Amino acid sequence: MIQDLANAGALPVLEKSLRFASARQRILVNNIANSDTPDYRPLDLAVEGFQSELRRAIETRDRDAGAMGMGRGSGPDRALEFQRTREIDFLENGTIKARPRTPSGNILYHDRNNRDIERMMQDLAENNLAYRTTVELMRRENDTLRIAITQRP
Amino acid sequence: MYGSLDISTSGMIAQRDRMTAISANIANRNSVMPDGTPYRARRVHFAPGDPAATSKQGRQWGVHVAQVEIDQSPFNMRHDPSSPLALKSGPYKDYVLEPNVNPVVEQVNAIQAARAYEANAVAAESSKQMAAQALRLLVG
Repeated sequence: MIQDLANAGALPVLEKSLRFASARQRILVNNIANSDTPDYRPLDLAVEGFQSELRRAIETRDRDAGAMGMGRGSGPDRALEFQRTREIDFLENGTIKARPRTPSGNILYHDRNNRDIERMMQDLAENNLAYRTTVELMRRENDTLRIAITQRP
Repeated sequence: MYGSLDISTSGMIAQRDRMTAISANIANRNSVMPDGTPYRARRVHFAPGDPAATSKQGRQWGVHVAQVEIDQSPFNMRHDPSSPLALKSGPYKDYVLEPNVNPVVEQVNAIQAARAYEANAVAAESSKQMAAQALRLLVG
Protein backbone atom coordinates (compact mmCIF):
# COMPACT_ATOMS: atom_id res chain seq x y z
CA MET A 1 0.00 0.00 0.00
CA ILE A 2 2.70 2.47 1.03
CA GLN A 3 4.90 1.15 -1.74
CA ASP A 4 2.11 1.76 -4.21
CA LEU A 5 1.95 5.37 -3.10
CA ALA A 6 5.61 5.88 -3.90
CA ASN A 7 5.45 4.07 -7.24
CA ALA A 8 2.30 5.65 -8.59
CA GLY A 9 1.47 8.86 -10.35
CA ALA A 10 4.15 11.40 -11.11
CA LEU A 11 6.93 10.18 -8.80
CA PRO A 12 8.52 7.57 -11.12
CA VAL A 13 8.39 10.09 -13.96
CA LEU A 14 10.09 12.72 -11.82
CA GLU A 15 12.68 10.23 -10.69
CA LYS A 16 13.55 9.37 -14.29
CA SER A 17 13.81 13.07 -15.17
CA LEU A 18 16.06 13.70 -12.19
CA ARG A 19 18.38 10.88 -13.15
CA PHE A 20 18.48 12.04 -16.74
CA ALA A 21 19.31 15.63 -15.73
CA SER A 22 21.99 14.34 -13.40
CA ALA A 23 23.64 12.26 -16.15
CA ARG A 24 23.41 15.14 -18.61
CA GLN A 25 24.96 17.54 -16.10
CA ARG A 26 28.02 15.33 -15.93
CA ILE A 27 28.39 15.36 -19.71
CA LEU A 28 27.89 19.14 -20.01
CA VAL A 29 30.38 19.82 -17.22
CA ASN A 30 32.85 17.51 -18.95
CA ASN A 31 32.50 19.54 -22.15
CA ILE A 32 33.32 22.73 -20.27
CA ALA A 33 36.34 21.13 -18.57
CA ASN A 34 37.60 20.05 -22.00
CA SER A 35 36.98 23.37 -23.73
CA ASP A 36 40.74 23.75 -24.39
CA THR A 37 41.55 20.11 -25.16
CA PRO A 38 42.79 19.46 -28.69
CA ASP A 39 40.82 16.85 -30.68
CA TYR A 40 37.99 16.81 -28.13
CA ARG A 41 34.43 16.93 -29.50
CA PRO A 42 31.67 18.05 -27.12
CA LEU A 43 29.09 15.37 -26.28
CA ASP A 44 25.44 15.69 -25.37
CA LEU A 45 22.35 13.66 -24.53
CA ALA A 46 19.33 14.63 -26.64
CA VAL A 47 16.56 15.92 -24.38
CA GLU A 48 13.97 15.30 -27.12
CA GLY A 49 14.87 11.62 -27.31
CA PHE A 50 14.46 11.21 -23.57
CA GLN A 51 11.21 13.15 -23.48
CA SER A 52 9.58 11.25 -26.34
CA GLU A 53 10.47 7.91 -24.74
CA LEU A 54 9.17 9.14 -21.38
CA ARG A 55 5.94 10.27 -23.02
CA ARG A 56 5.54 6.87 -24.66
CA ALA A 57 6.15 5.12 -21.32
CA ILE A 58 3.58 7.28 -19.50
CA GLU A 59 0.96 6.79 -22.22
CA THR A 60 1.49 3.02 -22.24
CA ARG A 61 1.14 2.87 -18.46
CA ASP A 62 -2.05 4.95 -18.42
CA ARG A 63 -3.59 3.01 -21.32
CA ASP A 64 -2.89 -0.34 -19.65
CA ALA A 65 -4.42 0.91 -16.41
CA GLY A 66 -7.45 2.19 -18.32
CA ALA A 67 -7.90 -1.16 -20.09
CA MET A 68 -8.14 -2.87 -16.73
CA GLY A 69 -11.05 -0.65 -15.79
CA MET A 70 -9.15 1.46 -13.33
CA GLY A 71 -8.50 5.14 -13.34
CA ARG A 72 -5.67 6.83 -15.12
CA GLY A 73 -2.36 6.18 -13.47
CA SER A 74 -3.69 3.44 -11.22
CA GLY A 75 -4.05 -0.33 -11.39
CA PRO A 76 -1.80 -3.18 -10.36
CA ASP A 77 0.50 -2.99 -13.37
CA ARG A 78 1.37 0.65 -13.05
CA ALA A 79 5.14 0.41 -13.29
CA LEU A 80 6.66 2.85 -15.70
CA GLU A 81 8.33 0.82 -18.44
CA PHE A 82 11.08 3.01 -19.79
CA GLN A 83 12.51 1.32 -22.86
CA ARG A 84 16.19 1.52 -23.61
CA THR A 85 16.88 4.19 -26.21
CA ARG A 86 19.89 4.65 -28.44
CA GLU A 87 21.41 7.02 -25.89
CA ILE A 88 20.12 6.20 -22.43
CA ASP A 89 19.48 3.06 -20.45
CA PHE A 90 18.14 3.10 -16.89
CA LEU A 91 19.79 0.10 -15.22
CA GLU A 92 18.16 -1.99 -12.51
CA ASN A 93 20.70 -0.94 -9.87
CA GLY A 94 19.64 2.67 -10.12
CA THR A 95 22.44 3.94 -12.31
CA ILE A 96 22.04 5.25 -15.79
CA LYS A 97 24.05 4.11 -18.77
CA ALA A 98 24.53 6.94 -21.21
CA ARG A 99 25.93 6.83 -24.72
CA PRO A 100 26.18 10.50 -25.59
CA ARG A 101 26.72 11.55 -29.19
CA THR A 102 28.46 14.47 -30.73
CA PRO A 103 26.10 17.14 -31.98
CA SER A 104 27.49 18.49 -35.23
CA GLY A 105 27.19 22.08 -36.28
CA ASN A 106 29.86 24.39 -35.01
CA ILE A 107 33.06 25.13 -36.90
CA LEU A 108 36.25 23.29 -36.05
CA TYR A 109 39.00 25.35 -34.48
CA HIS A 110 42.66 24.88 -35.29
CA ASP A 111 43.05 22.34 -32.50
CA ARG A 112 40.23 20.23 -34.03
CA ASN A 113 37.81 21.02 -31.19
CA ASN A 114 34.43 22.44 -32.17
CA ARG A 115 33.70 24.07 -28.83
CA ASP A 116 30.97 26.67 -28.47
CA ILE A 117 31.10 28.22 -25.01
CA GLU A 118 27.80 30.11 -25.31
CA ARG A 119 25.94 26.94 -26.25
CA MET A 120 27.65 25.07 -23.39
CA MET A 121 26.62 27.65 -20.81
CA GLN A 122 23.06 27.78 -22.16
CA ASP A 123 22.74 24.00 -21.96
CA LEU A 124 24.12 24.09 -18.43
CA ALA A 125 21.60 26.72 -17.33
CA GLU A 126 18.74 24.85 -18.99
CA ASN A 127 19.70 21.58 -17.36
CA ASN A 128 20.02 23.26 -13.98
CA LEU A 129 16.51 24.74 -14.36
CA ALA A 130 15.06 21.40 -15.46
CA TYR A 131 16.58 19.74 -12.39
CA ARG A 132 15.27 22.45 -10.06
CA THR A 133 11.80 22.20 -11.53
CA THR A 134 11.80 18.44 -11.09
CA VAL A 135 12.97 18.65 -7.49
CA GLU A 136 10.34 21.28 -6.74
CA LEU A 137 7.60 19.10 -8.24
CA MET A 138 8.86 16.18 -6.16
CA ARG A 139 8.60 18.31 -3.05
CA ARG A 140 4.99 19.17 -3.88
CA GLU A 141 4.22 15.51 -4.40
CA ASN A 142 5.76 14.66 -1.02
CA ASP A 143 3.88 17.52 0.65
CA THR A 144 0.60 16.21 -0.73
CA LEU A 145 1.36 12.76 0.62
CA ARG A 146 2.23 14.14 4.00
CA ILE A 147 -0.98 16.16 4.15
CA ALA A 148 -2.93 13.00 3.36
CA ILE A 149 -1.11 11.09 6.08
CA THR A 150 -1.20 13.70 8.84
CA GLN A 151 -4.64 15.04 7.75
CA ARG A 152 -3.61 18.64 8.18
CA PRO A 153 -2.10 21.01 5.66
CA MET B 1 26.30 14.71 -8.99
CA TYR B 2 29.54 14.45 -7.04
CA GLY B 3 31.11 13.22 -10.26
CA SER B 4 30.19 16.53 -11.91
CA LEU B 5 32.04 18.45 -9.23
CA ASP B 6 35.12 16.28 -9.73
CA ILE B 7 35.07 17.03 -13.45
CA SER B 8 34.84 20.79 -12.92
CA THR B 9 37.65 20.64 -10.37
CA SER B 10 39.89 18.77 -12.81
CA GLY B 11 39.19 21.52 -15.35
CA MET B 12 40.09 24.23 -12.84
CA ILE B 13 43.32 22.45 -11.87
CA ALA B 14 44.32 22.07 -15.53
CA GLN B 15 43.66 25.74 -16.26
CA ARG B 16 45.59 26.79 -13.18
CA ASP B 17 48.56 24.67 -14.34
CA ARG B 18 48.39 26.45 -17.67
CA MET B 19 48.30 29.80 -15.88
CA THR B 20 51.40 28.78 -13.89
CA ALA B 21 53.26 28.04 -17.13
CA ILE B 22 52.18 31.39 -18.60
CA SER B 23 53.34 33.22 -15.46
CA ALA B 24 56.69 31.42 -15.66
CA ASN B 25 57.04 32.43 -19.32
CA ILE B 26 56.35 36.09 -18.56
CA ALA B 27 58.57 36.11 -15.48
CA ASN B 28 61.45 34.56 -17.44
CA ARG B 29 61.19 36.89 -20.42
CA ASN B 30 64.82 37.91 -19.99
CA SER B 31 66.25 34.86 -18.25
CA VAL B 32 69.31 32.91 -19.24
CA MET B 33 69.56 29.26 -18.24
CA PRO B 34 72.57 28.04 -16.20
CA ASP B 35 74.18 26.62 -19.37
CA GLY B 36 74.11 30.05 -21.00
CA THR B 37 71.24 29.44 -23.45
CA PRO B 38 68.15 31.64 -23.17
CA TYR B 39 64.99 30.37 -21.49
CA ARG B 40 62.53 28.56 -23.75
CA ALA B 41 58.79 29.15 -23.41
CA ARG B 42 56.69 26.39 -21.82
CA ARG B 43 53.48 25.26 -23.50
CA VAL B 44 50.87 23.23 -21.61
CA HIS B 45 48.83 20.65 -23.56
CA PHE B 46 45.59 19.12 -22.32
CA ALA B 47 44.06 15.71 -22.92
CA PRO B 48 40.65 14.31 -21.93
CA GLY B 49 40.35 12.02 -18.89
CA ASP B 50 41.63 12.48 -15.37
CA PRO B 51 44.29 9.95 -14.27
CA ALA B 52 44.18 11.43 -10.75
CA ALA B 53 40.59 10.24 -10.20
CA THR B 54 40.20 7.53 -7.58
CA SER B 55 37.65 5.39 -9.43
CA LYS B 56 37.97 3.68 -12.80
CA GLN B 57 34.69 5.30 -13.81
CA GLY B 58 35.98 8.72 -12.83
CA ARG B 59 39.16 8.44 -14.87
CA GLN B 60 37.32 8.67 -18.19
CA TRP B 61 35.83 12.06 -17.30
CA GLY B 62 37.47 15.41 -16.79
CA VAL B 63 40.68 16.82 -18.21
CA HIS B 64 44.36 16.70 -17.34
CA VAL B 65 47.67 18.19 -18.43
CA ALA B 66 49.10 15.69 -20.93
CA GLN B 67 52.50 17.33 -21.29
CA VAL B 68 54.42 20.53 -20.80
CA GLU B 69 56.18 21.14 -24.07
CA ILE B 70 59.34 23.22 -24.29
CA ASP B 71 58.85 25.55 -27.22
CA GLN B 72 61.58 24.89 -29.83
CA SER B 73 60.81 27.92 -32.00
CA PRO B 74 63.78 30.26 -32.70
CA PHE B 75 64.96 32.72 -30.09
CA ASN B 76 64.36 36.45 -30.28
CA MET B 77 67.40 38.57 -31.14
CA ARG B 78 68.47 41.90 -29.76
CA HIS B 79 71.31 44.02 -31.12
CA ASP B 80 73.65 44.78 -28.20
CA PRO B 81 77.41 44.71 -29.04
CA SER B 82 78.36 45.71 -25.48
CA SER B 83 76.76 42.65 -23.90
CA PRO B 84 79.11 39.87 -22.79
CA LEU B 85 76.51 37.40 -24.12
CA ALA B 86 76.58 38.86 -27.65
CA LEU B 87 77.46 36.42 -30.44
CA LYS B 88 81.12 36.84 -31.39
CA SER B 89 80.91 35.65 -35.01
CA GLY B 90 78.53 34.50 -37.73
CA PRO B 91 75.78 36.40 -39.57
CA TYR B 92 74.24 37.52 -36.26
CA LYS B 93 77.44 38.97 -34.80
CA ASP B 94 76.79 41.45 -31.95
CA TYR B 95 73.27 40.11 -31.40
CA VAL B 96 72.13 38.71 -28.05
CA LEU B 97 69.79 35.70 -28.07
CA GLU B 98 66.74 36.23 -25.90
CA PRO B 99 63.96 33.83 -24.75
CA ASN B 100 61.33 32.96 -27.37
CA VAL B 101 58.57 34.43 -25.19
CA ASN B 102 56.12 36.73 -26.93
CA PRO B 103 54.41 38.80 -24.21
CA VAL B 104 51.37 39.49 -26.40
CA VAL B 105 50.81 35.79 -27.01
CA GLU B 106 51.27 35.07 -23.30
CA GLN B 107 48.74 37.73 -22.29
CA VAL B 108 46.15 36.39 -24.73
CA ASN B 109 46.71 32.85 -23.41
CA ALA B 110 46.40 34.15 -19.85
CA ILE B 111 43.02 35.72 -20.61
CA GLN B 112 41.85 32.51 -22.27
CA ALA B 113 42.98 30.43 -19.28
CA ALA B 114 41.26 32.79 -16.84
CA ARG B 115 37.99 32.66 -18.77
CA ALA B 116 38.12 28.87 -19.04
CA TYR B 117 38.77 28.70 -15.30
CA GLU B 118 35.74 30.92 -14.72
CA ALA B 119 33.56 28.73 -16.93
CA ASN B 120 34.57 25.70 -14.87
CA ALA B 121 33.83 27.57 -11.65
CA VAL B 122 30.36 28.46 -12.95
CA ALA B 123 29.76 24.83 -13.92
CA ALA B 124 30.83 23.71 -10.43
CA GLU B 125 28.47 26.27 -8.92
CA SER B 126 25.64 24.90 -11.06
CA SER B 127 26.30 21.31 -9.94
CA LYS B 128 26.51 22.46 -6.34
CA GLN B 129 23.16 24.23 -6.61
CA MET B 130 21.57 21.10 -8.03
CA ALA B 131 22.96 18.97 -5.20
CA ALA B 132 21.67 21.49 -2.65
CA GLN B 133 18.23 21.43 -4.30
CA ALA B 134 18.11 17.65 -4.05
CA LEU B 135 19.16 17.84 -0.40
CA ARG B 136 16.19 20.08 0.32
CA LEU B 137 13.96 17.08 -0.43
CA LEU B 138 15.13 15.64 2.88
CA VAL B 139 14.27 18.77 4.83
CA GLY B 140 10.63 18.28 3.89
